[in-house]
Amino acid sequence: MRGGSSQAGANGKVAFCRVRQARAAAWTVFALTASFCALFCASFCQVASAQSIRLRADALAQTSSDTQTPAGLLVLQGQDQVRPWVDAEALVWTGAKPDATADVLVLAVRVKEPHGYGQLRAGRFVLATGAVLPVQLDGIDALGRTPWGMTTEAFGGVPVVPRFGARAYDWLVGGRVAQRVADAATVGLSYVQRREYGDVSNEELGADLAAAPARWCDLAARAAYDLVSPGLADALFSAAVRSPEWRFEVFGSQRSPSRLLPATSLFSVLGDFPSQSLGGTLRWRAAPRLDLLASGAAQSVGSEVGGNGWVRSSLRLDDRGDGALGLELRRQDVSTAQWSGVRATTAVPLGRGFRYASEIEIVVPDHPDGRGIAWPWGLVSLAWRSAAGWELAGALEASSTPEHRYETDAIVRLSRALSMK
Amino acid sequence: MRAHFSVLAVLALAFALGACAGVLGLRREPATHRFEHRAHVLKGINCVECHVGVVGADTTGAAHFPPDATCRRCHAKPHDERACNGCHGELYVREGVELAREHLRFEHRKHMAATHGDCVRCHIEVTEDRPEAILPKMAGCFGCHEHRDQWALRDCAACHVDLGDEGTPPADHLVHEGDFVREHGVRAASARDLCASCHTERECAGCHGVGTVPVLPAQLAFDDVRLSGLHRAGFRARHAEEARADPGLCTTCHSESSCNDCHTAERVSPASGARSPHPPGWITTGLGGGEHGLQARIDPASCAACHGGAGEQLCVGCHRVGGPGGNPHPAGFSSTKAKTHDLPCRLCHGVGP
Repeated sequence: MRGGSSQAGANGKVAFCRVRQARAAAWTVFALTASFCALFCASFCQVASAQSIRLRADALAQTSSDTQTPAGLLVLQGQDQVRPWVDAEALVWTGAKPDATADVLVLAVRVKEPHGYGQLRAGRFVLATGAVLPVQLDGIDALGRTPWGMTTEAFGGVPVVPRFGARAYDWLVGGRVAQRVADAATVGLSYVQRREYGDVSNEELGADLAAAPARWCDLAARAAYDLVSPGLADALFSAAVRSPEWRFEVFGSQRSPSRLLPATSLFSVLGDFPSQSLGGTLRWRAAPRLDLLASGAAQSVGSEVGGNGWVRSSLRLDDRGDGALGLELRRQDVSTAQWSGVRATTAVPLGRGFRYASEIEIVVPDHPDGRGIAWPWGLVSLAWRSAAGWELAGALEASSTPEHRYETDAIVRLSRALSMK
Repeated sequence: MRAHFSVLAVLALAFALGACAGVLGLRREPATHRFEHRAHVLKGINCVECHVGVVGADTTGAAHFPPDATCRRCHAKPHDERACNGCHGELYVREGVELAREHLRFEHRKHMAATHGDCVRCHIEVTEDRPEAILPKMAGCFGCHEHRDQWALRDCAACHVDLGDEGTPPADHLVHEGDFVREHGVRAASARDLCASCHTERECAGCHGVGTVPVLPAQLAFDDVRLSGLHRAGFRARHAEEARADPGLCTTCHSESSCNDCHTAERVSPASGARSPHPPGWITTGLGGGEHGLQARIDPASCAACHGGAGEQLCVGCHRVGGPGGNPHPAGFSSTKAKTHDLPCRLCHGVGP
């Protein structure tokens, strides 16, 4: 339910939308029923394989539909280790958005050399290696390892277009070579080239490093160099020291927004105005059940300098951490983004498989500009989990956003997890 | 407006009640309590007196929890007739031990011989009455077994039956603490295959399969408020501020059309009649051309969100070679693309239509 929106739909459009939503809802209900029946039957079937099959189904329904969370959604996940050297994984979903739609998130087979000297992935998966930015790919990824610590990886395929779409002459190829050094560090070099409609949209050379010179100290870094418009596209580093009670991390990043865009975009030729940040994060176990986390960073965007910071506390209500109270304060003051926020959470196990949770966030922008003086958001939920793998959760969510003065939603999720030997 | 505040007041009340229930002890307390390991050790009782079968245990068989009869050898008059482990020892600790028994290839028999029966050498903190410390940490294993080759080859199968099925978070190595959502990108760069030894494809695709992901994991798990992440809580309200604060961050996952796709679906795009997002003075005639040039350089993805693709013609109209908008390239700009042939160069530099 929404109110205070500046948008007003025409009656005819509303009627059309209702018919469309009703059809979508009917389709979704059918899909949900059929899928859950199949899953329920599967739990009583004998499984030929001696290895474990893991299945999970989540059905989500919400009173309002938007692009972030569909009104009705069914997610089916399956995972199987057919033999010790081969496993397969799939995740498909169908939903109403408000039109009935479906897609495949993962459909991949992985074959491993029994002793770990190599592996091959094929199908639809997320490729993320070295300094290559993660990309969802329909393709192949082959990796080989040697006992002396060298890793060689080659990959290629077609970047995924949503809803089973296709574009001609889109492809991506690349590889990475890495070497372990003295059991304390790994250094890698990567290359990737991507084309859209045959034109080069991305060509990068990357370097990455991970090192743990001592048990209490580790660091990691990666950088990507744009070969189309030569210059640094993206660089990150993180170095941390720790003890059981505390951990301190120093981090930094530089991003060149124009180089992160596809080189086929007109906006990629405007030059290099990098955004940079340098900061630190401290985690301190102040008491056996109390964690404090603080982070702050200085940032530069174009010629402007600013910063952001937050403090977060988490108090566990039991040894296991099933119940917890959390409080977070946040401030961002960079360029034209200036706001303060507070977030509080509770999670309380009620016994007999029931769990209560609530979450509240209030964001106050420094310059509302007619978007409301504060953007509160809250959620109260009650969940139940059975020993047989069923889960039922319901929540009431309310918020005020720059677009809508108020929004209320009810959310229900039904889940079933199965593991068969 | 009144309804708005009523709902928020109800949510605030529910939050307060939840917090009070946790802090004031109003919630239901578990019937069990920690097992008194420390008291037994101080009495000089050897571990194997209670954990009888552990000396000769191999990789098969049940965990070695003492039965009631073992307890009653010393506690001849128990205070009631209920099963001892109904109160002494927490259920989740037993579950953890049974999980380890099921998923680890481990023989107590070999280790008892190597340590000359000294259990505390591995179960270091058992005398501290800390139930979470009963199982030895993996770093302790590495103290004797270096496993360099297995580590290098990501061959965990020597000890772990099936890491994915095990689902046990690493307690002392590869620790995912601090602000790990931000940190994981750089940490995973050199060790993607190490991450994959526990994490499945869908865990990466749950966020990075941007085009096909139906709903982010944090939104699907709306009832697990302990999850943190960039898109958690009221992200939809503050997303514009977050994007402006770190130009380029969104582009690392989202395509430039993501903003427009979402805004169109939400009917907040200028195309559907809403007001223009640009302030007065955005484009002016004469030198400089107004604010739009600077802002486009700082965050080109936000321009491409609406004006990308066919919309680029709007820019080309002024910035083409010889056009009134002038040269948009900075000093020293270079590109490996063919000026008159490749996209996007040919839009301005191309010969003819």
